Amino acid sequence: MVAQLFLNGLVTGLLLALPALALTLVFGVLKFANFAVGAMLTLGAYAAWVANTQLGLSLPASAAVAAITVALTGILSDQLVFERLKNRDSISLLVASMGLSLVLENICRFFLGNASRSFDVPISRPMRWEGLRINQEQITTALTVCVCLVLAHLLLRHSPLGRAMRAVADNPSLAATRGVDRRLIARLTWALVGALIGLAGVLAGLDRSIDPQIGWNYQIPIFAAAILGGLGSPVGAVVGALVIGIAEEMSALLIPTNYRQIVSFTVILVLLLFRSNGLLSAKAVRK
Amino acid sequence: MTGGNRSGGNSIPALAIEGLRAGYGRGGDIVRGIDLRQDPETILAVIGPNGSGKSSFVKTLAGMLDVRAGSVRVTGHDVTHEAPARRVSAGLAYVPQEANVFPNLTIGENFKLATEFLRGRAGVGPEQRERVLSLFPELAGRFRARAGDLSGGQRQMLAFASALLANPEVLLLDEPSAGLSPKIVDQTMEAVLRVREAGVTVLLVEQNVTAALRIADEAVVLVAGQLSLRARAADLRAADLGELFFAKVV
Repeated sequence: MVAQLFLNGLVTGLLLALPALALTLVFGVLKFANFAVGAMLTLGAYAAWVANTQLGLSLPASAAVAAITVALTGILSDQLVFERLKNRDSISLLVASMGLSLVLENICRFFLGNASRSFDVPISRPMRWEGLRINQEQITTALTVCVCLVLAHLLLRHSPLGRAMRAVADNPSLAATRGVDRRLIARLTWALVGALIGLAGVLAGLDRSIDPQIGWNYQIPIFAAAILGGLGSPVGAVVGALVIGIAEEMSALLIPTNYRQIVSFTVILVLLLFRSNGLLSAKAVRK
Repeated sequence: MTGGNRSGGNSIPALAIEGLRAGYGRGGDIVRGIDLRQDPETILAVIGPNGSGKSSFVKTLAGMLDVRAGSVRVTGHDVTHEAPARRVSAGLAYVPQEANVFPNLTIGENFKLATEFLRGRAGVGPEQRERVLSLFPELAGRFRARAGDLSGGQRQMLAFASALLANPEVLLLDEPSAGLSPKIVDQTMEAVLRVREAGVTVLLVEQNVTAALRIADEAVVLVAGQLSLRARAADLRAADLGELFFAKVV
């Protein structure tokens, strides 16, 4: 029982890792908390559902459609909303992202309705190993997220684009004197963030039914994970996501599963009270 | 950064500024009509009281503050309305007063970022990197160290080195001694001398007048956004500057 909950929590944490990484990247580079992360995840799930069930594409191809759709939505949002507010404070940008969240969620609702939907994938029997029950979806989620995290790590740590993103996160005006175009970096950040959230939407759609609220179910755990890891810290976001995922699943030993989001709220509350920079905050480095 | 021969006053000036005016937002001018010409391979100290507009002046030269009137030329090339990065490509490098390195990046990454996004700057590459490392040997072999973990003095050296990797004609330094202990200030000023000896023209904005005058060839006094004096550094003494600093400028 405990091992099964731990395994489920690990996979849930991996699923949270992609949007939590996306949230922390936006916070690091663009300096605000993107409240639209849940709605973007919803959009990704619906884009993949349309590609999969209406256009007849395979799930991997549908996932690519979802990643591209949400990436383009991110770039468009930057163009129409966030770039115009770039000189405003982070609260203004946060509020704008709340508006974007409502717009995206209701676009999905308007065109695709409120009914629950699911991908057209063959039903497979779960694997049994050492008494553990492992779903095919869990394996897909774990592999996809691990590959994405490795690629994101390579991009951020070992590519000119990653260096430029981290430079803008550190010191935008100094980055400008080095020839780094903040505008271009902002767009590429949105593209990367959109792709990550879009893929997370597909994985969420494998885990549960797709409806206009699917992203909202993950919103609080995503924020809790990013805050726990330290907003702005990519590694921290992944660690935070794993901790939140495992803690939420393990809480079933103590409280009814309907209340498991209380874990995320508690983590946010405790961190804000006692360690507002999180566990692995980028700000821990001296300026 | 190619030689050590000082040029005479008749050559093309490394830095030529005419009628420069600049300010913030819709406020009044902070830089109020500065004319200045600096010969190649010299150190010119810009000194003045707090609030005289020294940092605003150097930020305007670096392109961080919009020019409202006047012109800025680097070795004859007009950079008045160029973006900061284009000015670096034109040979004008800038080291801000604080936050002049990327603290969450390693020394090696700071080095890479110094030039990998610059376009059209000649003399940038491995040879320049070797020349810069010969000027700052304390950075060699520490490329994996995080810049945010360096001491204040080491961070200044990294900031200088990063700017010099772009092979600039002119290096703008905004108060490099700020926040450093006296011993580290001496080391920093010695580094500035090494930079000048390597053939780079240095415009040094400095609050520490004694340290600045010790290494500068010439000095200008900036009061209320205007130049009130230009003299050879050797002819100026800190004790003489009080009246200039606090004199009313019309």
